[in-house]
Amino acid sequence: MSRRVCVVGVGLSDSPRTPEMTPRMLEAQAFRRALDDCGLEKGDIDGLASAGYGGMHEVQLAEYLGLRPHWLDSTSCGGSSFEFQTHHAYRAIEAGDVDTVAIVYGNTQLSTSGRSLGTGQQFQLTGPWAYEFPTGITLVGCYALAAQRHLHDYGTTPEQLASIAVQIREHAGRNPDAMYREPITVDDVLSSKLVADPLHKLDCCVISDGGCALILTTEERARSLPHEPVYVRGAAGGSTHHSVQAMPDLTSTAAAFTGPKAFAEAGITPADVDTFQMYDSFTYTVLVCLEDLGFCAKGEGGPFAESGALRLGGALPTNTDGGGLSNTHPGMRGLFLLCEATRQLRGDAGDRQVEGAETAVAHGSGGWLSTMGTVVLGTVPVR
Amino acid sequence: MSDTAVPRHIIPRVTPESVEYFAGAVRGELRIQRCTTCSKHQHYARLLCSHCGAETLEWVTASGRGTVHSFTVIRQNGVPPFDEWVPFVVALVELEEEGARILATMPSVTPEDARIGMQVIAEFRPATDEVAFVDFRAAP
Repeated sequence: MSRRVCVVGVGLSDSPRTPEMTPRMLEAQAFRRALDDCGLEKGDIDGLASAGYGGMHEVQLAEYLGLRPHWLDSTSCGGSSFEFQTHHAYRAIEAGDVDTVAIVYGNTQLSTSGRSLGTGQQFQLTGPWAYEFPTGITLVGCYALAAQRHLHDYGTTPEQLASIAVQIREHAGRNPDAMYREPITVDDVLSSKLVADPLHKLDCCVISDGGCALILTTEERARSLPHEPVYVRGAAGGSTHHSVQAMPDLTSTAAAFTGPKAFAEAGITPADVDTFQMYDSFTYTVLVCLEDLGFCAKGEGGPFAESGALRLGGALPTNTDGGGLSNTHPGMRGLFLLCEATRQLRGDAGDRQVEGAETAVAHGSGGWLSTMGTVVLGTVPVR
Repeated sequence: MSDTAVPRHIIPRVTPESVEYFAGAVRGELRIQRCTTCSKHQHYARLLCSHCGAETLEWVTASGRGTVHSFTVIRQNGVPPFDEWVPFVVALVELEEEGARILATMPSVTPEDARIGMQVIAEFRPATDEVAFVDFRAAP
């Protein structure tokens, strides 16, 4: 019989500015805090997953932490890597390959590279980049191309995109650790600098330092730990393209199949989701995934967002920690989504708590809307 | 965009797979692959057809005509020489040949004039003896 799998520990490193720390130090700090959160010790961890920008990232981290893991995962598919790793750890724990897995990530994007991420990167000119980089396209530009087509096809407006940033900023105002907490208006977003039309500066995520760690284990072990277990109920991942040039449809993503697959496994429909933790690299990322995951119909993401659905008290409280748009984004944010979803389901989210939250979705996006990973968490198991 | 020497860091390394595309561009031809099994075209060059998986690819010279499927105006790019180009239009162009889209700069199209659906045609910007870049301009 397969085992039920729970998230038992979460930890966040210091953030959003940590010039005195290296990425690995942030990872270690988040790991220690996740252990303290769940009352486990280092010796209890027998599996490790991580992703970074170099080879054998998780192996280096295992050595640094003094772990000798029996199970490793280094799936590295951009910001959604950690939804994929959670999916893989869930399956491996369920099957009995490993009992307790730590998923860890940290980066000093802000202190190392400043605020140029997405508009000033040099890529190796191999594969698709040999054709794309010389056009002067940027990471922000790729998302902008997709957003522009959505505006064209569905009449989505820049104001509707901006309303996403406004609502998520409201949540950041309730998070004492968020990078930007002052309220903003739709006009503020629209009058911020255009980076790549139609995306303004405030349509783009922040650049920060930060680390996060998540610990998963069996339900049996979870029962002896301090927090109420948070169950992994379903997960799925996939990709449709790498570079935007090869994106089959600029107005839909792999979330259109990862969402239904994960929701079916979890035995839920979009209407059952109490809080949505969404990889908000850009306002458009949120909008297109709201549609693809079935929270509204295709083309209706703009009106749905503009209705106020994403705010606390709305139909789908989204990015309750302030998200990547206002809280923290150290390069690959997927793990932070799972941390906030877990806190919400524990009822530990303080001023930003979604009352009575029982079901949460963490949805990661990676690359250029290329990879999508969906994880459904809940306060009760599926079966 | 200036006429000064093209910085080395934006010049792709030509591989056995991409040489036909870049050499074609130097000659003023837009070379793409066509699959003789499914009749669809693809850009960029690959060993297999990305539509049907067959190995039956041949190189053809595309008309260079296409439609702007989407575009953006790059207003911030910290990498030279793009930092001096801003603002400039980058478009995802759907070629007349079925199945092929190409990302390209449109140096002669102003941000105000760029439109989804506009008809465009390829033009070629020499970089080195081995490489030219494919840009697009408004079709006459």
